[in-house]
Amino acid sequence: MSRCLAIARMVWLDLLRRKDLYVLLILLGGLLLALLSLNVFGLGGMIRYVKDAGLLLTWLFSWILAISVASRQLPQEETRRTIFSLLAKPLTRGELLCGKWLGAWSVVCAATSLFYLLLVLVVALRGGRFAPLTLAQTALLHALSLGLLTAFALALSTRVTQGAAAALAYIGALASYLIVPQVPAFLTAADGWRATALLVLYYALPHLELFDLRQRAVHDWGPVPGGLVAGITLYGAVWMALLLLLGWLGFRRKRFTRGAVR
Amino acid sequence: MAAAIELRELAVHFPSRRAHGGVTALQGVSLQVEEGKVYGFLGPNGAGKTTCMHVLLGFIPPTAGAAYLFGTDVRQSIARRRLGYLSEHPEIYPYLTARELLRLMGRLFGLGGRTLRARSAALLEQLGLTAAADRRLGTYSRGMLQRIGLAQALINDPDLIILDEPTSGLDPLGRLDIRRLIAGLRARGKTIFFSSHELSEVERVCDHLAILANGRVVAEGAADRLAAPGESLEQYFLRVVGAGAAGEAPR
Repeated sequence: MSRCLAIARMVWLDLLRRKDLYVLLILLGGLLLALLSLNVFGLGGMIRYVKDAGLLLTWLFSWILAISVASRQLPQEETRRTIFSLLAKPLTRGELLCGKWLGAWSVVCAATSLFYLLLVLVVALRGGRFAPLTLAQTALLHALSLGLLTAFALALSTRVTQGAAAALAYIGALASYLIVPQVPAFLTAADGWRATALLVLYYALPHLELFDLRQRAVHDWGPVPGGLVAGITLYGAVWMALLLLLGWLGFRRKRFTRGAVR
Repeated sequence: MAAAIELRELAVHFPSRRAHGGVTALQGVSLQVEEGKVYGFLGPNGAGKTTCMHVLLGFIPPTAGAAYLFGTDVRQSIARRRLGYLSEHPEIYPYLTARELLRLMGRLFGLGGRTLRARSAALLEQLGLTAAADRRLGTYSRGMLQRIGLAQALINDPDLIILDEPTSGLDPLGRLDIRRLIAGLRARGKTIFFSSHELSEVERVCDHLAILANGRVVAEGAADRLAAPGESLEQYFLRVVGAGAAGEAPR
């Protein structure tokens, strides 16, 4: 475990010393301030609008950060050839993968907490507030979706290049969030093998929409039952474990040679 | 007592789309490196030296045969517990400082706290990097990178040190430093497995030699007994490598 934590710490140092995080923070702050300067809906509507747009931006930026951070971890070690220094130590490939995932997930969660903090401050500036428990549930499930995304991008990056892993992760995440929930609607118009294929797709892909409680936070609908949150947490944990297992299967026998990876 | 390194009929075959039937990088390589020896590993470019080292380090699984470090199969990560490795071009994290790199590498060996801090400080001092210890590695010169590469290879006080072309690209002073370091390690009873193209370098520091050509060991023995009387190591090397390339047994 200490070796995993050492690898995770490296991921943190890498992100903290790059510009990505700061650019996203400044961009989010700028966009939220721009939202504040608009007042076309009256004060009550304005706060909901800021909450809605702010949460959407927070989700969007955290997904971008999660996929970009996770998809570059292993390919970057290969192109810099630092993977050789790591694997020459008594570190298993599973530990390396887990450390990278843990680092990527935790650093993205920390950055997302900053995004939330910024949003709460901006909403407070307009005299509004979030219901604390609902916001906590929203943030918790959001964090789980980030764990799933980082595991997905990391698993892809064990087999393809950084760019391809990131592109596939974006496509997969959007398909899972936007298309998979619509499958039941398509099912009414499909029959035979098409219906079977749609059903397989529906159950075989993760349902990222389950982790999205933004509308509850925006409209103050109150928290969801604890049992449901626990169930979704378990669902997320199973998917994360499955994706990490797939990543490990792709990584454990990979050959590394100087200057090239076979 | 188990040998520091033992290779048994090691073979590595890379499947390749370009080369029909793939590329055989190593075939039937067997050798033993006893503890406390400085073992030179020679061969022309493409002979398979680096592939062999990469098998020992667990980067490449062997296609056939087996490799052991202190009696433990190299496929187990624990085999690398007593190992230090320096590659030809030390790989670096440009965003880390030297102190942070040593801390990270030490933690991968399970070191921590005061022991790790003391060991890092001693290595930085020994390699003349104390003044630059808190500078990012991205700002280091080639010679400094080689030294920090060595420091990270020695962080666990390893019993076996694998050096892949450690003097490549270094100026004469840098080479002298490496030679001194190897001499110091040898004096402390460490085993050193050392690959190089520099025959004069190898002749100076090694007790034992193996010469690899076309993925096979074509000569092996005590460094001072391999060449015929009156023959230099370079002449011997050219003779056996030429014979190895032609598929003859060296005499």
